[in-house]
Amino acid sequence: MALHRQFSNDGKELIIAIKGKFDFNLVQEFRQAYNNIGEERPTVIIDLRETEYLDSSALGMLLNMRKSLGNSVRGIHIINCRPEVRSILDISRFDKLFTIE
Amino acid sequence: MHVVHDHSKLATDVLHQLEQLDFEFVTAGYSEAVARNGLLSSDITIYIYAAQTQLAPALRKLFQQAREDDFEADINDCLIITDDARQLGRWNDDRRKFFVDVVLWPEPIGILKTRIQSLEHANSLRAELTQTRHSLAWHATRIDREHQLVEHIFRNALSRNYLEYPHIRTYLTPVSKFNGDLCLVAPGPIGNIYVFMADFTGHGLAPATGALPLSQAFFAMADRGVSVAEMVTEFNFRLNRLLPDDMFCAGILLELSANGERVTFWNGGMPPAVLFSDTGEIIDRMPAQHMALGVLDDDDFDSRVTTFRAPTNSNIALYTDGVIELLGHKMEFLGSDTLEQLLQRFSAPADFPKLVGELEHFRGTQPLHDDLSLAVLSCCPTGLDELKQLKDDTAMPFTLTIDLTSNQLRELDPVNHVLNAIGTLPRLRNHRTTIYLLLAEAYNNALEHGLLRLDSSIKQAPEGFMNYYQLRAERLSALDEGRIRIHVNFIAEKGLLEFTVTDTGSGWDTNRVISSSHMNHGRGLDLLRQLTTQLKWEQNGREVYFSYQL
Repeated sequence: MALHRQFSNDGKELIIAIKGKFDFNLVQEFRQAYNNIGEERPTVIIDLRETEYLDSSALGMLLNMRKSLGNSVRGIHIINCRPEVRSILDISRFDKLFTIE
Repeated sequence: MHVVHDHSKLATDVLHQLEQLDFEFVTAGYSEAVARNGLLSSDITIYIYAAQTQLAPALRKLFQQAREDDFEADINDCLIITDDARQLGRWNDDRRKFFVDVVLWPEPIGILKTRIQSLEHANSLRAELTQTRHSLAWHATRIDREHQLVEHIFRNALSRNYLEYPHIRTYLTPVSKFNGDLCLVAPGPIGNIYVFMADFTGHGLAPATGALPLSQAFFAMADRGVSVAEMVTEFNFRLNRLLPDDMFCAGILLELSANGERVTFWNGGMPPAVLFSDTGEIIDRMPAQHMALGVLDDDDFDSRVTTFRAPTNSNIALYTDGVIELLGHKMEFLGSDTLEQLLQRFSAPADFPKLVGELEHFRGTQPLHDDLSLAVLSCCPTGLDELKQLKDDTAMPFTLTIDLTSNQLRELDPVNHVLNAIGTLPRLRNHRTTIYLLLAEAYNNALEHGLLRLDSSIKQAPEGFMNYYQLRAERLSALDEGRIRIHVNFIAEKGLLEFTVTDTGSGWDTNRVISSSHMNHGRGLDLLRQLTTQLKWEQNGREVYFSYQL
């Protein structure tokens, strides 16, 4: 399973974890992962702890998600980035669009 | 039964009597008994002497020898039959090794028989006792040895336990040699730290055994940086298969992010961990939302976690119920309220020894009834991310060229193969994420725009992304002409990695390259531009060259 999706106990956070490679092969699965978020305005947490590789298609998917979710979520956090992943996100100025921890 | 006698008239009378009473026996003289060191038989021995033969000193010497002898099991109880009334009271001075009974002859009929029988009975009990003692001693040695082995295994299994992590304080006290509680600490690969506290039903060796597979899984998964939800799912899976039905394992797994702010936890059946500030304010409690580990099947198991943001200068106290059920000297439980009061009183990290002192004072001399574990983790930056850098300074230069036909392009994932080939080399290892990105961008650009002639503006539409990649898949499977060549050259002494990717497509107007990071395309190009040096196109855009400085 390259993508794991789970709500937190209180339902206030939707955690999407991506393992290994985050690229266009996940385009459909990733979109489905944030399809049913309910009316509770959860915070979406993208957990990249096990994401070793990503390319510009992954960045595009993240931006698509942001556009599509809009105000239906409290925020989108990208967490647990490895240093190299972090620097790719920084170069793409993702820190201005997402909360990167 | 042996009979040692002095051939006196008295002896003849007694031997006759014994025969009449149907006792079976073997006789011997005193000299023979001395030569054989006296009393070696598995049965009782009767010594007969008459006062006039004056053999009392010889008999005394025999006994003396026997008492000094080490072979306890071979020494038997004995009966002295004599007419020497003066010596009667002097035989029973040491019953530690064997029992000496004395009969003054002549003796009324009937008493002799019962005296011998009860002596025989006592002797067989003594023999049985000796044997039992020996086998107990043997078992004790064996168990000691086995415990040593198991202790050794535990020590090895837990040798990686990072209890010396500077921002955690622990007080772990098992009831017996083996701990049914488990307190594991391990760093993750991204500067995060995991703390797992667990409590198996019961205490002693049996529950401690469950600690082995659990700790192995914990350390392996911590190395990989696995999420809390996935870890507890694996723990549950293992324990569910391993433990008998009446045994399970309450546990709380907690992860603190590298910056010390984000806490993720899963609590199955453990007392609520307490979040408190350095200044003694109880901020929150982290109660169990789930069943203990090892109870539910995979399908029913709930791995949902709770996350929160820990305020600066806060701490989390994790503990097993052994702490709140600690019995005081007035036979009262400590209770969670008192524990929280103690946490408030001794909230500063430096006060932890005082907190432990209070707990020990509360218990006084009461014996422990359950394993007891308390750990307090400070929520501060872990300082672990700096330690993780792989050191490798030896580099090997290489050149790699692959040239792929349309058939191969349809079937293969070249980026993956090139990455696998070079991503683990020294020096390159620490850059593999970036190397992947560069390769993927250059290759996908050549394939998607050069050969498949896809237009990135498709991505702008609402469903554009999906459509774009669907079209990519369709066109790729129909690709029947065109080649892509990937050339990678590593100049080791400069730490420079050069890439050239060439396709046989129709090319494009390289003057049209515009930065457009707010649109849904062109981002790859932006990344290339920022991460590489000397980015340039040749052959009307059919060939891209760039280099990456490690």
